[in-house]
Amino acid sequence: MVDTIQIILVYTFVLGSLYLLISLGFSIVCGVLRVFHLGYGVTFIVAVYAMWMLMKEFHFGLVSAMIGMFIIQTLFTLGIIYFPVVKRYIEQEELLLTSLILISLIVEESANFFYPVTAGVNIPTTILPGAMKIGKASIPIQMLIASAVAVVTTAAFVLFLLKSRRGLVIRAVSQDIESAQLMGANVGRVYALAMVLSAIPPTICMLVIAPIWSIEPSLGLPLMMTAILVAILGGLGNIRGSMMASYIVGFLSSSVAFLFNPRMMGLATLITVFIVLIFRPEGIAKSESLW
Amino acid sequence: MRIEHKRARLVFHIKDLKLEWTIEPRYWRNPLIGVAGLALLPLVIMSKPDYLTLLTTANIYAAVAIPLAWQMAGIGRMNFGPQFFVGIGGFTAALLSIHWGWGPWQTLGIVILLGLGFGLILSPLTTIAKGLYFSLITLILPLIFLEFTYVYTDIFKGETGLSGIAHLVHFGKIRTNYIVSCYLSMGLMLIFLYVVDKILRSRIGLYAAAINDDEDVAETCGLNINGWKVLCFTITSVMIAVTGWFAAHYYGTFAGVTYLQLPFMVKILLIVMIGGRGELYGAIVGAYFVAFLEQALTILGPIHYIVFPLVLLALLFTLPEGLYGIYRRHKYREYYPTMRVRKR
Repeated sequence: MVDTIQIILVYTFVLGSLYLLISLGFSIVCGVLRVFHLGYGVTFIVAVYAMWMLMKEFHFGLVSAMIGMFIIQTLFTLGIIYFPVVKRYIEQEELLLTSLILISLIVEESANFFYPVTAGVNIPTTILPGAMKIGKASIPIQMLIASAVAVVTTAAFVLFLLKSRRGLVIRAVSQDIESAQLMGANVGRVYALAMVLSAIPPTICMLVIAPIWSIEPSLGLPLMMTAILVAILGGLGNIRGSMMASYIVGFLSSSVAFLFNPRMMGLATLITVFIVLIFRPEGIAKSESLW
Repeated sequence: MRIEHKRARLVFHIKDLKLEWTIEPRYWRNPLIGVAGLALLPLVIMSKPDYLTLLTTANIYAAVAIPLAWQMAGIGRMNFGPQFFVGIGGFTAALLSIHWGWGPWQTLGIVILLGLGFGLILSPLTTIAKGLYFSLITLILPLIFLEFTYVYTDIFKGETGLSGIAHLVHFGKIRTNYIVSCYLSMGLMLIFLYVVDKILRSRIGLYAAAINDDEDVAETCGLNINGWKVLCFTITSVMIAVTGWFAAHYYGTFAGVTYLQLPFMVKILLIVMIGGRGELYGAIVGAYFVAFLEQALTILGPIHYIVFPLVLLALLFTLPEGLYGIYRRHKYREYYPTMRVRKR
C-alpha cells in the first residue's frame, strides 16, 4: 500500500511538472491575449524539426542549433502566427481559430513531407541516460531532469511576471486592457511579447523530453490537447490555477493508471475536466487574470 | 415577336403570348437551378466510382454543416463537437447491424431515438454553459466518447473500427449501388437543407436570430429562450445523428478515429468558413469545394498535403465572406445587357 502511494506520488510530481511545462505557454496566451491559441501545437513541432533541420542540413553543433532554433521559433511566432493572423483577426474569433488550425496543418504536413517518421529524427539532448529508483518507482533520469527543468522554468516565469517591470505591464494588460492603455502600456507590444514568451516553455519542453518521447510530425495535437485540458481546469489563463491543475491532472493520471487501468488515464482526465466545466466553469483559480 | 425592356426583365411578346425573363440572376429560381445542377452531377461523372464516393462524402459533410448552422444561431453558441452525435448515430447503427443483423431502415428508428435522448440529456448545457465554456464542453464530449471506445474496445473496436455493417442499398451492380447511394446522400442533405431553410425563414428562425443576438433582450421580450434552445439543440442533434447513421451504412465500416477526433470537426469548420459564414447554401458550396479541391490536388503528388491547407488559408485571407459571398455580392451586378438599367 505504502509502495503504491509512493509510486503514485513520484509519478504525480513527474507527470504534473511535465503537464505544467506543456501548458504554461497556452495559459499565458489565454491570460494575456484572451484568445484560444489553436496553433499552440505547432510550437512543439517547430522546436523539434527546426533543430533537426539545422543539425542535419546545415551541420550546426548542438548549442548553435539550439540558439538557431530559438531564433527560428521567435521569428515563426511573430512573423507567421502573431502579425499576419492573431493581430489581424483578434476580434473575429472564428477566422482566427480557422486560420490557426490551417497554419498548424501546413506546418505539420511540411514536417511530414520533409522529415517523415522514417527519417529517424532524433535530438541528442540526453543529459543523463538510464533509469533511477526512487523507493519502488523506477523512472528514466531524463524524465526527472525534465520535471526539474519544468519547475525551474515555471519559477523563472513567475519571478519575471511578479518582479520585473515588463511582467507588471503584462499582468496589467491581462487584468484590464483599457486601464492598462490609459496608464501608458503599449498593448500591441505586450501581445507580441506574450506570444514570444508563450513559445519558450514548449520549446524547452521539447528539448528535454525529445530523447524519451516518440518524435513524429503529429506530436503537436495530443500535446496541445493536454495543454487545453490543464488550462481549462486551471481557469483559462491563470498561471497559479494552471500550476495546481497540472499536478491535479498528474495525480489523477498516475492514480488511475496504477490503481485501475492505464487505458483509463485519458478518460479520467477528460471526465474530470468535463465535470469541472459544468459545475465550476471558471476553473480552480479565483481571478480571471494571469496571476 | 417583339422584345420589351422593363426594369429588370425582358418581356417577349410572341403574338398573344407574353413571356418574361428576369435578367438579374439573383431573381432566378436559383435554389431550384442549383438542385437541378447537383442532381445532374452524379450522372455526368457516372463512369468514375471514386468521384461518386467523393460526392457522397461531400454530401455527408454538408449534412452535418447544415443543421449545425441552425444550431449555432438557435442556441447562440459555437458547437465544437457535432461529431459526438455523428458518433452516436454511427455506433448505434453499426452495433445493431453487426450484432443483431438489423438493416439500415430498422436501425434508423433507434438512431433517432438515441439522438433524441442524448440531445435532451445534453440540452441543459445550452443554458448552464455560457459562450466559450459551451464550446469547450462540446470540444471535450467527442473526445470522452473516443476514449470510451478505446477503453471498451471489445465492444466498439476503438483502434480498428467496426466493420461488416449492412449496406444502405444492394443492387446487383456495384455502379448502381454507388449512384443510388450518391442520390440518397444528396436527398438526405437536401431534406436537411429544405427543413432548416424553411425553419430559419419562419418565426422560429426569428427567435433563433433574437437568441443569437442577445439572450437577455429576447427573454425580456417574452421569449421562452430555454425552451427554444432545448428544442433547437435536440432537433439538430437528431439530424446530425442521422448523418452518422448514413455514414455508417454507406461505408459499411465505422471507426471512432475517423469521426470523433478533432480533424473531422476541423473539416466541418473549414467547410463552413470557406463556404460562407451564416449562409446555409454556403455549407453546400464549401463541402463540395473542399472535397473536390482535396481530390484535385492529389495530382501534385505527396506535396498536396501541404498545398491543400495553403490554398484554403489563402482563400480565407482573401474571401472573408466565403465562396458564397462572391455570388451574393458580385453576381447580381453581372447582368449582361442591363448594366445601364440599374443606373437609370
